[in-house]
Amino acid sequence: MASISATLPIARGRSHRGDLWRIVLLVSVGVFVLAPIAFLVLGSFSLAKLPTDLSLSRLGLGNYIEVWLKQNVEVVFYNTMVYVTGATVVGVGFAALFAWLVERTNMPGKVWIYAGIPLTLAVPGLLQAIGWLLLLSPQAGFFNHWLVQTFHLAHPPFNVKSLGGMIFVEGLRLVPTAFLMLVPLLRSMDPSLEEAAAVSGARPLSMLRRVTIGLMAPGLFAVTVYQAMTALEVFEVPGILGFPANIHVFSTRVYAIVQNIATVPSFGQANALAMIYLLIAVVASYFYFRLISRTERFAVVTGKAYRPRLVDLGRWKIPFFVLALLFLFLSIVVPYLVLLYSSLVGFLQQPSMAAFRTFSFKHFIEAIEYDRFQDTVWNTTLMVVGTATVVTIVSFLVSLVVVRSKFWGRRLLDQLAFMPHAVPGIVLGLAFLWLFLKFDQFTGTRLFGTVTSIVIGFSVQFLAYGTRAMNGAILQLHRDLEEAAATSGARPWRVMWRVFVPLMMPTIVGVWIYVVLLSVRLAGLPLMLFEGRDNTVLAVLIWYLWDEGNIEAVAAIGIMLMTVLFLLVIGLRLIGFGRDLAQTGAP
Amino acid sequence: MIRVENLHVRYETERGSVHAVHGVELEIRAGQFYTLLGPSGCGKTTTLRCLAGLETPNEGQIAIGGEVVFSSTDGIFVPPWRRDIGMVFQSYAIWPHMTVFENTAFPLREMRPRLGRAEIRERVGKALALVQLSGLEDRPAPFLSGGQQQRLALARALVKEPKVLLLDEPLSNLDAKLREETRIELRELVDRLGITTVYVTHDQIEALTMSDVVAVMDRGRIVQTAAPADIYQRPDNRFVASFIGQTNFIRATVAATRREGEELGTAHTASGPMRCVLPDHVQPGDEVVVAVRPEDIRPCAPDDTTENTLEGEVTAIVYLGEALECQVSLGEDRVRLRLHPTAAVQRGQAIRVTIDGRACRALAE
Repeated sequence: MASISATLPIARGRSHRGDLWRIVLLVSVGVFVLAPIAFLVLGSFSLAKLPTDLSLSRLGLGNYIEVWLKQNVEVVFYNTMVYVTGATVVGVGFAALFAWLVERTNMPGKVWIYAGIPLTLAVPGLLQAIGWLLLLSPQAGFFNHWLVQTFHLAHPPFNVKSLGGMIFVEGLRLVPTAFLMLVPLLRSMDPSLEEAAAVSGARPLSMLRRVTIGLMAPGLFAVTVYQAMTALEVFEVPGILGFPANIHVFSTRVYAIVQNIATVPSFGQANALAMIYLLIAVVASYFYFRLISRTERFAVVTGKAYRPRLVDLGRWKIPFFVLALLFLFLSIVVPYLVLLYSSLVGFLQQPSMAAFRTFSFKHFIEAIEYDRFQDTVWNTTLMVVGTATVVTIVSFLVSLVVVRSKFWGRRLLDQLAFMPHAVPGIVLGLAFLWLFLKFDQFTGTRLFGTVTSIVIGFSVQFLAYGTRAMNGAILQLHRDLEEAAATSGARPWRVMWRVFVPLMMPTIVGVWIYVVLLSVRLAGLPLMLFEGRDNTVLAVLIWYLWDEGNIEAVAAIGIMLMTVLFLLVIGLRLIGFGRDLAQTGAP
Repeated sequence: MIRVENLHVRYETERGSVHAVHGVELEIRAGQFYTLLGPSGCGKTTTLRCLAGLETPNEGQIAIGGEVVFSSTDGIFVPPWRRDIGMVFQSYAIWPHMTVFENTAFPLREMRPRLGRAEIRERVGKALALVQLSGLEDRPAPFLSGGQQQRLALARALVKEPKVLLLDEPLSNLDAKLREETRIELRELVDRLGITTVYVTHDQIEALTMSDVVAVMDRGRIVQTAAPADIYQRPDNRFVASFIGQTNFIRATVAATRREGEELGTAHTASGPMRCVLPDHVQPGDEVVVAVRPEDIRPCAPDDTTENTLEGEVTAIVYLGEALECQVSLGEDRVRLRLHPTAAVQRGQAIRVTIDGRACRALAE
C-alpha cells in the first residue's frame, strides 16, 4: 500500500495542472475559428481591392453599397430563395417518405434502400451535377437529344441549367442525410402512442397526421432547417448548373466576384456579400439549437428499441418500392453511367452503336500520365490524410473536455467547435484567404498556396462534424467503465489506453474516414484557397478541367474518384459508423 | 478498517449548490458487512465514491486500513488506483471489448511490479471459480447474461484480494428471483473471505438480511447506525421508522415519563392512554408520535379494557392473499393492521385492538 508521502496533492493543485492543456486547446480552437471570421468582417469594410492592401486607415461602407445596392442583389436573393426552398422541400419530402416506408410499412426490399442510400455519399456534388448536365443540358444533353430525335420535337424538353435543374439535383443530394437523420427519430418513437390513437378511434390517415407527424414535428422541423442551411451553403451544384447560365445564388456570386478576371477582383465586395451568410448562420443556428433542446423535451425518444406495427401498403407496395429504387437509380446509377460512358468514348458524342465502337481506356491513360494529375493526386492524398488526422485528434480532445471534464470553458469550447459548421466552405475559404495573405505578408512565410493552407481551412470546417460524432460516442460510453478501471488500479493514461481508446475506436476510425470523404468531395474552400499547381486538389482540378471543356478527362478522373469513394463508404458501413453519420449529417 | 470523519461533498449544478454529503461519520471494523441505506439522492453513493476516490470531498478525512487516503486539512488525496479496494458498480461496468478472462485479469495486469503470466492465470482462475464462472474465460463479455455479468464484476473486484470491497447497488439490475439467491450467495462469499464490505442500497430487505451494521442516510446525513434488528425494532426517528417497513404513526402527548425500575412511560392518544417506550429528554406535555408496526397490533375482545387497548372503527379492508389488511381509524389517526385472511370483519364495524407497550415507540417530532 502506498505511503502518505507518495500521495498526490489535493484537488485544487491537480485541477490547475490538468487545466493547462485544456486552456491551450481552448485558445487554439478559438484562434483558428475566430481569426478568419474576424478577417472576413474586417475585409468587408476594406476599401483596398486586394487583401494584402488591407489597412485600418482605409475602411468604409463602399463594398456594402456596391454589392447590396448597385448589383441587382434582389435577383440573387430571389434565385437563392427559390432554389433553397425547392431543394429542401424535395429533399426532406422524399427523405421523410422513404424513412416512413422502410420503418413503418411492409414495403418489400427495404434492405436495398438501407444499403443503397448511404452509397450516395460517394457521389461528389460536382460529378453529380456534371453527370446531369451531360444528360439534360439544352444544347447537347444526351437525353434531350434523344427525345428531340425520337419524337421530332422542336425544342429540347429539359433544361437542367435552370433553377428547376438546381432544385432537382440538390434535392436528390439532400435525401440521404435527411433520411439518415429521420430514421432514428421514427425508430425510437413509442408505437403505443399511435396505438392509443387507434383505440381512441382514429383512422390510419388521421393517426398519421395527428399523432405520428405531430410527434415528429420538432424533429422534422430541425431536419428541415438543417437541410435548408446545407442547400444554402452548397457551391458545387449551383456552380456547375447555374453559374455558366448566369443564374446566381449567393454562394456562386461570392465566387464570381473573386474570380472576376475582367478587372482586378474586389475581394472586399465578396466579403460584404458573404456577410449575409454570417447573419443567416447566426439566426439559423440559434433556432436549430432551440429546436434541438425542444425535441429532447418531447419524451418521444426513449432509447428503447420498439417493434412497431407495420402499415400494410396493399397494392401500393410495388409502386413505392419502384419509387425508392428510382431515387437510387437517379442519384447513383445515372451519374455514374453517364460519366463512365463519357470517360470511355473516343470523343464526346451522342450515345450510338458507332460511339460504343470507339470505347477505349485512352482518357484514363492520358489522365494518369498527365503530370498535373499526378501532382494533384499527391496533393489530395496529403490534404485528405492531413485533414482527417487533424480533425480526428482535435475533435477527440475537444469532446473529451466538453463531455468528460468539469473544465470551466467546456461550453465555450463546444460552441467554438460548432460555429464553423454554419459558415459555407466558400465563405470560410474567403476568410482564410484574407487571413493567410495577411499572415504571409507579416511573417514573410508562404502559407497561402500550400496544401497546408487547405488542411487548416478544412480542419476548421469539419471540426463541427468531428466533435458532434465524438460527443455522441463519449456520451454513450458509460463513465463506470472508466471508473471501474481506476478502482482496478489503472492510472489515468492506462485507463485511456486500455479502456477509453479501444471503446472509442469505431468512432475514431469512422470520423477519420468520414472526413476523408467530405474533404475529397468539396470544392468550395479549396477553390478559394487555390493558387496554382502546388495546392491543386482533385475537386479543383475537376472544376478547372470542366471549365476548359475537357469533359472526357473530367469523366475519367471522376470515375476513378467515385470508385475509391465507394470503397470508403463501404468501409464506413463495415465498421458500423451509420449511427454517428446520422447524428452529424453530411452536407 | 475504515474511518470517515466529518465528510462534506458539495456540487455546483445549474440549479445551484447541492450539499450531497453533510458531515458523515463512519467507523467500520475489519470484516464487517456495512450497509449504507437510504432513498435515492440521500448521498449514499456519493459517500461510497469518496471511499473509492472517484469523488473528491470538500471537507473531511478518510482512512482505509490505517492509511489516510483523504484529508482536507493535510491536503492528502490518494487517487483510486492507489487505494486497496475492489468495487462493483451498479451497471457492472464490464468492458465490452475484453473477454471474461481479460476483464478479470485487468486489476492484476495493472499491479506494479508486474505479475508473471502463470500467477495471473492462476489468480484469475481462482476468482472465477469463486463466483462460479469457470469455463467461460474466453467468452466475450457482452455475451454474458445479467447475472453472469454481475458475478464477473464481483470476480474483478476480488481478484487482487483488496482489503475493502465496495458494492454500489450490485443487485438492483437483477430480476427478483435471482436477486434473492444472489443476496445469500454474496453474503456467504464475503463471510468466507472475511473481507470488509461497504454496501450501498435503497432496498431495505437487502440491508436487513445481509448486513452486520446498517447506516440509514437521509439528505446527506446519517440518521441512525445500528444492527438490522435494532434498525427495524428500535428506530430512532420518524424517517427511519417510515423508510424501513410499514409503520403506523399515532399522535400523542407525553403524560408521564418512565418511572424508576420501569421500562415504559405513558402518552395520551385521541383514543385513550398508551404505554410506550419514550425517548430520553421528553417532558410531560411534549408532543410525540407513537410508531407501531402493523404486525404488533392485534384485535382483542370488545370488553377487554386492559392496558394499551384502543377502540376504533374499520374503515377499509384489503385482501392480500396471505392476510387481510385492515385500516382502522383511532380518532383522527388511521392505523393499519394485519388479520388472518379468514377473519370476519366488515367495513364500519367497531373494533378493539391491543398493542404490546414495548412495541410502541414514541418519537419526538
